[in-house]
Amino acid sequence: MSDTRRRSRGSQEEPAGPSNGVGVRNRSERTGDMGDEDDVVGGPSGISEEDDDPTRRREIRSKYRDLINQVQQNREDMLNPANNKLTDVLEEANKLFVNVRQAREAALDAQLLVLATDLGKEKASQLHAEGSAFDPSAFAEHLLSFMGLNRLEDESGQDGHLEGYLPQGAWQKLANRSESCFKTAPSFHYMLGSFLAEPPPPRQRVERQRRVPSKEAKRIMPTQLKQMEESHQEATEKEVERILGCLQRYFADDSGEPISYYEFVIDPNSFSRTVENIFHTSFLIRDGLVRMFLDNDELPCIAPVEEGEIEPGGASIRHQCVISINQESWREIIDAFDIKEALIPVPEVLSQES
Amino acid sequence: MSRPMADSHRRFLQTMMSNGIISASQAEALHKHCCETHGAHYVADRLDDFINVINAQLQPLFMYIRKGMSEENGLEYYALVNMTETDITRMASDYADNELELFRKTMDLIVDSESGSASSTDILNSADSLRTKKLKKKETEHVLNKFVQDKWLNEKDGEYTLSVRCVVEMEQYMRTIYPDLIKVCHVCHNIALQCQMCENPACGIKVHLPCAARYFRARSDPHCPSCNDFWPHEIPEMQRFQSQSSQNLPSSSRENTAPTTSRRSRRS
Amino acid sequence: MSQRKKSVSASQNKTQRRSQASLNEDEEASFSQVSSSQVQRARENFTSDQIDRKVAEVVQFILIKDQKKMPIRRADIVKHVIKDYKLLYTDIINRVCRTFEQVFGLKLVETDPKNHIYILINKLDPIQGEPVSMRSVNPKKGLLFVILSVIFMKGGVIKENLVWNSLKKLRVDPGEKHDEFGDVKKVVTDEFVRQKYLEYVKIPHTEPVEYEFRWGLRSEKEVSKLKMLEFVGELFEQDPQSWTQQFREASTVDSSSQRTSS
Repeated sequence: MSDTRRRSRGSQEEPAGPSNGVGVRNRSERTGDMGDEDDVVGGPSGISEEDDDPTRRREIRSKYRDLINQVQQNREDMLNPANNKLTDVLEEANKLFVNVRQAREAALDAQLLVLATDLGKEKASQLHAEGSAFDPSAFAEHLLSFMGLNRLEDESGQDGHLEGYLPQGAWQKLANRSESCFKTAPSFHYMLGSFLAEPPPPRQRVERQRRVPSKEAKRIMPTQLKQMEESHQEATEKEVERILGCLQRYFADDSGEPISYYEFVIDPNSFSRTVENIFHTSFLIRDGLVRMFLDNDELPCIAPVEEGEIEPGGASIRHQCVISINQESWREIIDAFDIKEALIPVPEVLSQES
Repeated sequence: MSRPMADSHRRFLQTMMSNGIISASQAEALHKHCCETHGAHYVADRLDDFINVINAQLQPLFMYIRKGMSEENGLEYYALVNMTETDITRMASDYADNELELFRKTMDLIVDSESGSASSTDILNSADSLRTKKLKKKETEHVLNKFVQDKWLNEKDGEYTLSVRCVVEMEQYMRTIYPDLIKVCHVCHNIALQCQMCENPACGIKVHLPCAARYFRARSDPHCPSCNDFWPHEIPEMQRFQSQSSQNLPSSSRENTAPTTSRRSRRS
Repeated sequence: MSQRKKSVSASQNKTQRRSQASLNEDEEASFSQVSSSQVQRARENFTSDQIDRKVAEVVQFILIKDQKKMPIRRADIVKHVIKDYKLLYTDIINRVCRTFEQVFGLKLVETDPKNHIYILINKLDPIQGEPVSMRSVNPKKGLLFVILSVIFMKGGVIKENLVWNSLKKLRVDPGEKHDEFGDVKKVVTDEFVRQKYLEYVKIPHTEPVEYEFRWGLRSEKEVSKLKMLEFVGELFEQDPQSWTQQFREASTVDSSSQRTSS
């Protein structure tokens, strides 16, 4: 294939002009082929203005690159003995080459030609090989059928446009069948002895049960417990309502702007208060009273849900996630958000006590 | 010396390697299949003899095929286990160090619990204190899933328990590592995690659910087999636990003292 | 080791070969230049129980290294297990081979006699209608099959683009994270390569750089070309013999490996 192209080029090269190989060769070609377009033929050795038209040159280069891409991307298709795609590409290139005037475009032509020659060689070797040729594209199709591809009705068959999808377990099915080609040894798996035997911290367990409360815990815990005693559930509900009130107030004050989640829940003076705030706020989200989302900086924000915004059916999609926070990350967030004070004030009972 | 292995034994062993653990009924079918495939003489009743031939060769290699009972359904299983802990065994590449640490913590929680199980929440929280390399919550869930898939843990409604495979292989380890926490079943003498317990504080013996079903079967007025106090738990239905014929294979610990029920022949 | 080497060369008259040995072959030398009297003495130094235990440990070590199908290097066996028993390496590894065959029905194969790399392969064939499957099969095996069969059918070596394009047709995009395989490009060019299923090498003088795929040493030992061709024939509904060259290659390779493994 490339041979024919070379030959045709060779014959065009015969009436070469004095200098500038590329340009001149083409000019003679051009005058023969499409004389009507070439009214503005320049002097014998120079490049005409039209030849140097940057738009036109850019267009040629872009078309060459498309062709090169096409060849690189669809290598197997090009090699497929059942089609003439390689010839098509070369014919396309021949048409482009007619308008090539300068070295930059010619270099692209040469690059394409190298690729095409390479493919031509491979395609030829395929034809000469004994027995059937192996067609990877057909192989892929057969594999898809074996794996149970769900072909969609709209089978356009366009290149690079894949239709249909593989069902669950398709690869497992292929793997199971392929296994007969392999002499793979089974492997031995165990748990005992894969880690260093280490007694659990039994001390920790005992500690957890009989731990003496620290000074600070002594100071806060009893009152809190007394307060909670009446009804743990009731206390939680009260607290949740109080926090919703806070959020609604800030939201209204801030002309309806969503509030940064971390700024809202973090109490820079108390880690435990922060954890409680996170806990209580989660109820608001669960009950659909507050929504949580990521802002443009991918940071979590919250805003109260307006009445009527959510249908009573609760059709909105729910997500669940576990938030973990430790003292270290708590401090990091305080620094990062520059949190000076708690947006959720300490509940009155506690603040009175301390 | 011991009887040499044939291809039928090797095929059985390879299948054990690939699966780690199989149920007794699978083992019986596999026994038949292996013998027939290699033209070996097949005697339906001699599965444990067949396995003993393999075990004689495996034991010097620190491996063994052990029998164990599921605490959940009372069925018997055969597991291929490792028997040593050395620098070499610690080169296992199935799990990363932090994944193994999570496994150990999960085991700690389960052994320490009254129910013989640990909730996913508790495990997720314990993952916060990993010393090797922290795991995110999502990663922890993924690792737990892997343990279930690899048959080291069971999961039901967010509660994790130790699988038969795990208990069978780790039994000695657990007895050594948790000497104060591990109790054995009063009936079968194997480790008891999920079980019923005598409520007499001076007694407090444990009995597996399937063992309780077997032991208290047809006793309208159940009493503790040890202290004779009233047994205050609901006695599980026998049907839930298909009893198995137990043969003379050294099981994971002592021999089964449980009254062996009907030696039904499930082999056809 | 260097100390031993000294003693070896001092006590032995095989220095001629040693002088030709490159640095890489130094280790080789320390293995091959062990005299029978040295081995004899070493045998007397250890009890048979000690040697039994070493054999068991090597078996265990190889099984562990095989968990992820990574090839096993002699150097690692020596470093982690054999240690002071190095003079008895040949004795031990022969017994290890025998154990794998007699107990497990597996074969320990040295895929690369120059670098001393071993793999385990199976001597038993899977059988239709097993009550419990003898193999636990990872879906990645399907991916591997596709690549190996395209390479084989295309004459033994292919440019990487053919692999990626074939996979794309099978809805596996090497540029995207796949549900089952994760980072496909990594699985193919790293995991399969380290397991020695594939070779992935730069083609010289290519700009931009291009790579090509070949079968790795493990595949040459572990994969039956004849069975692969049969399956490909099944897919094409075509007689495997119609691919004349591939069929010829598959028949010769498989029959020769049959001869060596029996």
